[in-house]
Amino acid sequence: MKGLILAGGRGTRLRPITHTGPKQLVPVANKPVLEYAIEDLKEAGITEIGIVLGNLGREAIQEHLGDGTDFGVEITYIIQGNPLGLAHAAGCAEEFVDGDDFVMYLGDNILEGGVTDLVESFETGDHAAGIALQRVENPQQFGVADVDEDGTVKELVEKPDDPPSNLALIGIYVFSPAIFDAIETLEPSWRGELEITDAIQSLLDDGRSIDSAIVEGWWKDTGKPEDVLEANRLVLEDALGTVNGTIEDGADITGQVDVAEGAIIEDGAVVRGPVSIGEDVRITADTYLGPYTSIGAGSTIESAHVENTVVAGDATIRTSVKIVDSLIGESATIDTADDLLPEGKRLVVGENSQLKL
Amino acid sequence: MRIITHACPACGTVVAANELESRRVMKCPGLHCEEVHRFDDLEDEEREHFLENKDQYRI
Ligand SMILES: [Zn+2]
Repeated sequence: MKGLILAGGRGTRLRPITHTGPKQLVPVANKPVLEYAIEDLKEAGITEIGIVLGNLGREAIQEHLGDGTDFGVEITYIIQGNPLGLAHAAGCAEEFVDGDDFVMYLGDNILEGGVTDLVESFETGDHAAGIALQRVENPQQFGVADVDEDGTVKELVEKPDDPPSNLALIGIYVFSPAIFDAIETLEPSWRGELEITDAIQSLLDDGRSIDSAIVEGWWKDTGKPEDVLEANRLVLEDALGTVNGTIEDGADITGQVDVAEGAIIEDGAVVRGPVSIGEDVRITADTYLGPYTSIGAGSTIESAHVENTVVAGDATIRTSVKIVDSLIGESATIDTADDLLPEGKRLVVGENSQLKL
Repeated sequence: MRIITHACPACGTVVAANELESRRVMKCPGLHCEEVHRFDDLEDEEREHFLENKDQYRI
């Protein structure tokens, strides 16, 4: 079994964060989203991984993951170029897959329960494909599967008005090499993409068996800022409170607070976990860090109030204004305007930024 | 739709034909790889197929 992680896509809904880097490297609990997929594949025993890259963030992703050695896997990069659809991305991997079965994982998804159940269920039968499903309350907004009592898929429908079940397809699949023949028969859809659901449907139409596994636990697509915050919240729920940095006497810490090497929480700071503090971060006195906050490596938080927020690396926050529910990009500076005249906020705001002042 | 790819003989990075065709000559996108790839590296038959169906490989 091999693994294929799709890391193309333009990340338009995460602008301006994605103007400078790919959405798959956005940190969730101080770890790039993409690493969660790699860990899940590894946990399922898969170490040969292909990573499909689009036009954005090619170098950044390769620089971060290298050949995979640091993550205990072996990585092959596959350049899809233009985003011609998930089935096109899969098709580009035929040479890499080389006749094996493979798990296809959307690189901006995070799953609590991993992919082991899906892989094991697929391997117990003679299936052409396996799909991960999750129960949702609004199946009208998803691709929906109708399955029998063994989990074998009977029908797939895209955003149905009258859904046959509440089981939505999430972005994780297992494929046998039969998928490549199915992809070859496809034509681009109305939006100019080769759709993976069309490929699976064509396997079904040919009488091939499609397995499914219901994913228990949460699943999050981190395509939008609020999704990144939600994923960060869900991951931090399991924070262990590992302290490799320094917590000074007089710092007031409650709940699980992970403190990475070189980080310091100074005397007088208040931190309410779950919180993740990256390497070499400085949290000064008079700072309040509220629950569900992640502070990226090299950042300084000085006399500020920050909660339910993701701060990427090397940022500086030094303001009396409370910062909540925010996504703050790499090397951003948020400073105080308190002593400046004339009174007012001073902003240098990039394209597609969103501020609520 | 047929998907045509080319694997870099030096680093193993796989490049889709649409990417090769749009650049004609490109440095290998594999990081630190010095190999140069050309649309002409594809088999004649693959190139012909791609060019005949070029519209499908655009978005
Ligand atoms: Zn190369």
